[in-house]
Amino acid sequence: MNARRGVAVLVAVTVVFGVLGRASNAIGLPAYDVLLAGTILFWMTQATSWNLLSGFAGYFSFGQGAYIAVGAYTTAVYFGRHGGNVFLAIPIGGLLGGILAAAVGAVAFRLRSLRGEIFALLTLAVPFILAAYARITNWVDGGQGTTIRLPRVPAWMGNFQQMVFLLNLGLAALAIGLALVIYHTRLGHGLAAIHDAEAAAEVLGVPTFRYKMVAIVLGGVLSGLSGAVFALQIGFVAVESLFTLTLPLTAIVISVLGGRRHWLGPVIGALLIVTLQDRLSAGGLENWSAIILGGLLAALVVLAPHGLFGRLRARWWLALAVLVVVTAGMTASGYYDQIDALLYGMLAAVVVTTIADTLRPRKPAAVSRPPDGPLEAAVPQPRSAGTVPDGGTLVSCDGVTRYFGGVKALDDVSFTVGRGEIVGLVGPNGSGKTTLVNLLSGAMQPTRGRIAISGQPIAGLPAHRVAHAGVARTYQLPKPFASMTVRDNVAMAVMFGRTPAPLHAARQAAERHLATVRLSHLADTRPESLNLHQRQLLEMARATAADPTVLLLDEALAGLNPAEIDDAVTVIRRIHATGISIIIVEHLLRVLNQLATRIVVLDRGTLIADGDPMTVLNDPAVVRAYLGRQRA
Amino acid sequence: MITLQAALTGALIGGLYALMAAGMSVTWGVLRVINLAHFGLILLGGYLTYQLATSWRLDPILTLVVTVPALFVLGGALQWAYDRLRIVEFNSLLVSFGLLIITIQLASDVWSADFRRMSPADNRYATGSLNLGRIAVPTATLVAFVAAVLLVGGGHLLLHRTFTGRGMRAFAQDRTVAAAFGIDHRRLGVLLGGAAGASGAVAGMIFALGNSITPSTPYDWFGTVFAVVILGGIGNLLGTLVAGIGIGVLSGLVSVIWSPSTEPFVLFLAIILALLLRPRGLFARAGVA
Repeated sequence: MNARRGVAVLVAVTVVFGVLGRASNAIGLPAYDVLLAGTILFWMTQATSWNLLSGFAGYFSFGQGAYIAVGAYTTAVYFGRHGGNVFLAIPIGGLLGGILAAAVGAVAFRLRSLRGEIFALLTLAVPFILAAYARITNWVDGGQGTTIRLPRVPAWMGNFQQMVFLLNLGLAALAIGLALVIYHTRLGHGLAAIHDAEAAAEVLGVPTFRYKMVAIVLGGVLSGLSGAVFALQIGFVAVESLFTLTLPLTAIVISVLGGRRHWLGPVIGALLIVTLQDRLSAGGLENWSAIILGGLLAALVVLAPHGLFGRLRARWWLALAVLVVVTAGMTASGYYDQIDALLYGMLAAVVVTTIADTLRPRKPAAVSRPPDGPLEAAVPQPRSAGTVPDGGTLVSCDGVTRYFGGVKALDDVSFTVGRGEIVGLVGPNGSGKTTLVNLLSGAMQPTRGRIAISGQPIAGLPAHRVAHAGVARTYQLPKPFASMTVRDNVAMAVMFGRTPAPLHAARQAAERHLATVRLSHLADTRPESLNLHQRQLLEMARATAADPTVLLLDEALAGLNPAEIDDAVTVIRRIHATGISIIIVEHLLRVLNQLATRIVVLDRGTLIADGDPMTVLNDPAVVRAYLGRQRA
Repeated sequence: MITLQAALTGALIGGLYALMAAGMSVTWGVLRVINLAHFGLILLGGYLTYQLATSWRLDPILTLVVTVPALFVLGGALQWAYDRLRIVEFNSLLVSFGLLIITIQLASDVWSADFRRMSPADNRYATGSLNLGRIAVPTATLVAFVAAVLLVGGGHLLLHRTFTGRGMRAFAQDRTVAAAFGIDHRRLGVLLGGAAGASGAVAGMIFALGNSITPSTPYDWFGTVFAVVILGGIGNLLGTLVAGIGIGVLSGLVSVIWSPSTEPFVLFLAIILALLLRPRGLFARAGVA
């Protein structure tokens, strides 16, 4: 489903439900059903808003309750205590939720050492701090809580129940529509790349910080809006009911159960979980609700981390048929409540598709053989490299120095790389080669000194801007986007590279880059099925797809056997032939002898030689650095 | 004088924070399991102490005879399950979050959501205090501090001086190499998980000595305990102890000088600053990143 059709369907569904909800009295829908539907929609909004950052980009948040609470307290204070307009309280709640999210993101995403665990723990702390604040601050709560009287309902919205339903419906439609659009656009692809391999995404040109901020803020706004409506629904806003762990737990379980990587996942999850909770409390088993949610989370993480969405989509006809047959059958029998029937229908659909999936697993895409024939069969098209104002100098390092604490990793290193060169960067382990690559690609900043790409200084630029200045790199340990096909891995680099393109055009361009490295036959497989050599080739294809002027290859041949090395050397030559200059970090002097037009040698952070391969490799200082001093 | 009293009380309470954080820190650092369920174990420790002291009239400290083995088994079993299911660091956070919620709900089913506190008749540590000039130190707090220092310090010595402890540290640094040298990570993991559970039993007992418990009490511990774990350096017990006392003094002083309401913000700020400036803890040695 593309974005436009998705939005059209969503609008149609929303209108139908809106009319049904507004006319619930006329068509004899029980008020209880309207209430339940409102709760389901509330959780769809919450789980979807959680999912924007935590599902799409993989930064799990335990702080969903904080945004809900901010929204709810806005209603409590502005409408409940001061008699303000309730329809103004809702957007203010959204605004405050967004501000809180921006604050959390601005702090968390600036941490250099941020990992998913630390983010989760930080967000876990946020609601408890707000709770402590609310408890002792009289104008917010002060410990007694706030009762929220019934607001005046505009005539067109019917009664209070219907109004809450319509508000929840509107917000759910907004949230789902937003998630749907994001999923299909650059932002969504960028977030998915961040989820899979954030560092690689950044050096390929994805503005990771900005994307994460956009996702967390949008999530905060949606959650705050819906939290403000939640306050009307619960009627009494108190610290104990809002700052619990059950709210974030429910949002997480819904998304994980439904499937976090797709916009429809939280929608499916909310339908299932909220109905289940409702039936539990209808059956007097309210206390079991938290236990079941907790157990479900633990079980899902271990057994089915990808959630239901993938399975249901693969057999949607089966799922739908089972749902309809079971629900209709049970309702028609007359023994069961409609909601019970719906729950059992959904559970049956899940169980049947899961069994079907276990009995006949979907086959992974077949792996075809690499094409036979000479390498030159697919001739790469030479492309226009960027303009080089600096008279042919692409990379210039001037007095570059980098410390780690008290350790000098690089000391006053100066050299240049001109257009069309293949510069070999060699040196013993710990000589600073990888540090230099990190500095050139913008992943780190030099302590002192100046680096310029095509004459443009890159000091202080984030890595994605350095990528747009024309630098691409590969990693010694390949970092592919695990959830995407090989083709889409390369297409991401085109999308976010120097000549950005929409996805379908990027996929076409990706074919060309895959042909250059001879991976076309594996375009539809996932990176996990590639061997090390193929992964290295994928790294190269992805880097060239970013349309760089200079390519940094960080030990791209490490761990390969001799035949694979020869193959990789051919590929590097072909990349070079398209007009890209190359800096290659390599230990194999044999390879550098063949490839490099010039060799730069580092030893303990200082540059000890720079010149043509034969001269450098016979330099006594270089021989000493590599082999140690020869005994006289 | 008030300031001094606040700092001292804070330091002593900080010992309890350090004890709570120690179990968490060790499993995180060595086994790469972020065990939120540890808070549940501490809660259980507290409730069991309350229950045994109230219904069997046991001296609260003697209840450890029951609670320590019980939570050792529980902690070890938990670790065994994490290991068997091959749960990685991040997933352990989610799984143990689920388990924590279950524990809290079960505690609430058994002991209700009301505040539970040992009556003074059952808890002879509740009222006494040691007077040093004009500074008074409640007995419960003193017991807490002494026990915490002994346990955390002892744990540090075990990790550094015994063969098993060294094996654990080797395992923390490089699992594959440690395994190649014949270190049985399953056994070590269960042992360490058990030890963490046992420390939770003591922490729960100490908490119950001086405080009321409700099922939602663990929420009050999160911020402080994580601040201590991160500031002390993940897996570093001595660092945990120092960080615990430091955080205790800090919150004691803040609540006297400004107001108790600013305490959570100062703590949060401490965590953020620590992550920004010393992501590997206050006491990490400088080295190549």
